[in-house]
Amino acid sequence: MITSAAVCPAPPLLARELTGADPVAPELRQACLQATAALLAGVPDIVAVVGVAAETGVWPPDGRLDLTAYGPGLGGLSAGPPVPLGLGLGARLLDQVGYSGRRQLQSVGEQEPAATCAALGVQLASMAARVALLLMADGSARRGVRAPGYLDERSVPFDAAVESAIRAGDLPALLALDPVLAHELMATGRAGWQVLAGAMNGLRPASEITYCDDPFGVAYLVATLRPRG
Amino acid sequence: MGIVNRTPDSFFRPGLTWDEPAAMARVDEVIAAGADIVDVGGIPAAPGAVVDVAEEIRRTAGFVGAIRARYPDVVISVDTWRHETGRAVCEAGADLLNDSWGGFDVRLADVAAEFGAGLVCAHAGRQQPRTRPFRVAYPDVMADVLDQTTRLADRAVAVGVQPERIVIDAAHDFGKNTWHSLEVTRRLAEMTETGWPVLVSLSNKDFVGETLNLPPEQRLPGTLAATSVCAWLGARIFRVHQVTESRQVVDMVAAIRGDRPPARAVRGLA
Repeated sequence: MITSAAVCPAPPLLARELTGADPVAPELRQACLQATAALLAGVPDIVAVVGVAAETGVWPPDGRLDLTAYGPGLGGLSAGPPVPLGLGLGARLLDQVGYSGRRQLQSVGEQEPAATCAALGVQLASMAARVALLLMADGSARRGVRAPGYLDERSVPFDAAVESAIRAGDLPALLALDPVLAHELMATGRAGWQVLAGAMNGLRPASEITYCDDPFGVAYLVATLRPRG
Repeated sequence: MGIVNRTPDSFFRPGLTWDEPAAMARVDEVIAAGADIVDVGGIPAAPGAVVDVAEEIRRTAGFVGAIRARYPDVVISVDTWRHETGRAVCEAGADLLNDSWGGFDVRLADVAAEFGAGLVCAHAGRQQPRTRPFRVAYPDVMADVLDQTTRLADRAVAVGVQPERIVIDAAHDFGKNTWHSLEVTRRLAEMTETGWPVLVSLSNKDFVGETLNLPPEQRLPGTLAATSVCAWLGARIFRVHQVTESRQVVDMVAAIRGDRPPARAVRGLA
């Protein structure tokens, strides 16, 4: 079962190398590292890293972020095989907090329906007695006129609903997120949140949100969740 | 190539040439400053207020006709992705269709062929027009640029565009983050080696702004630095806001390359 979970966003700029001389978002990186460290406090048997990608699939556990795809000329090819963005960033967070135990890098297809996502979550939760889930998921990228996807006013209530579901530990509410609306809002994390809802089904976790902001027009949320009792 | 925007909301000096008299004064200015080509645009690249075909034509076609009447010999380019606009401006006298969004409307090439106009074949990274890049990634951005631009150029030839009127453009910032735009600048020789003439559009763009951490109105030195690198690597057309400064840089680099003699050399020679 899931003994702890963490939610972090997955923008490329989470990789410090990509933002040049300016760290750009040090508080965000720090929050992600702290949430990842907290995830491991319960000494899990395995960490499942979940990221949204084109297709659902399991990636090599030594997979790493392909930095050169986002920053050609940066050099320094990473050690493992390249994996999708969210998984690469999640793997990097685990490396950065010194985790060397078992990990599963699991992508969920951005088009998967809610029921499929939830079933995937149930499956991940059953992998071991103590499973920690690191979910890399983002809210809308349309939160202002300077946002990557320009302004769509529906983004604010959409992201607020996600935040409030996570804050309240009301994860079943995440299963009601509309995939079509999420796609229109460039809220790439939708399938991931629904995996989380499936994985922690019935647990009503206590949660703590440590970062919730949109400094570049994309909703970033960092949270830790722990089953009660 | 001097930029003349018929828009109220472009990123650099917004609204400067929204009025037609101001726009024509700007045409006079860029030609006097040494531009060989005038590039007229009716739609900003960034997302924002919708500009439909009719409005785009209203902003550009009549103005192209007015430029043609005033300057019979200047090369007139129009920055558009739409074939309907392409047709209207070619009927009004445009010589070159600057398809910055990389063949989004494939019929634009047909229009260029029909009118004997030129065509800019750009790499927009498969982005929809007027969208910003969102987490774009390339295994090799220059390989993608070469593949897309030469494919568009070959297709243009196949539909009847005259090969000597085709230009390729890496389209800095379009479907690219700053690292990607720096990489295509660094490797621009790979484009010039294809044999197609290369256009670069660098002027005051975000990759310059992010590299130097400067707002649009302070990006001229960075623009000129990138311009000189691209000129050295063989770019042939430079789409610019500041024509005087850009012309000096391009002429200076051409002299360093040995492609152009100095304007006047007497030092040590008397």
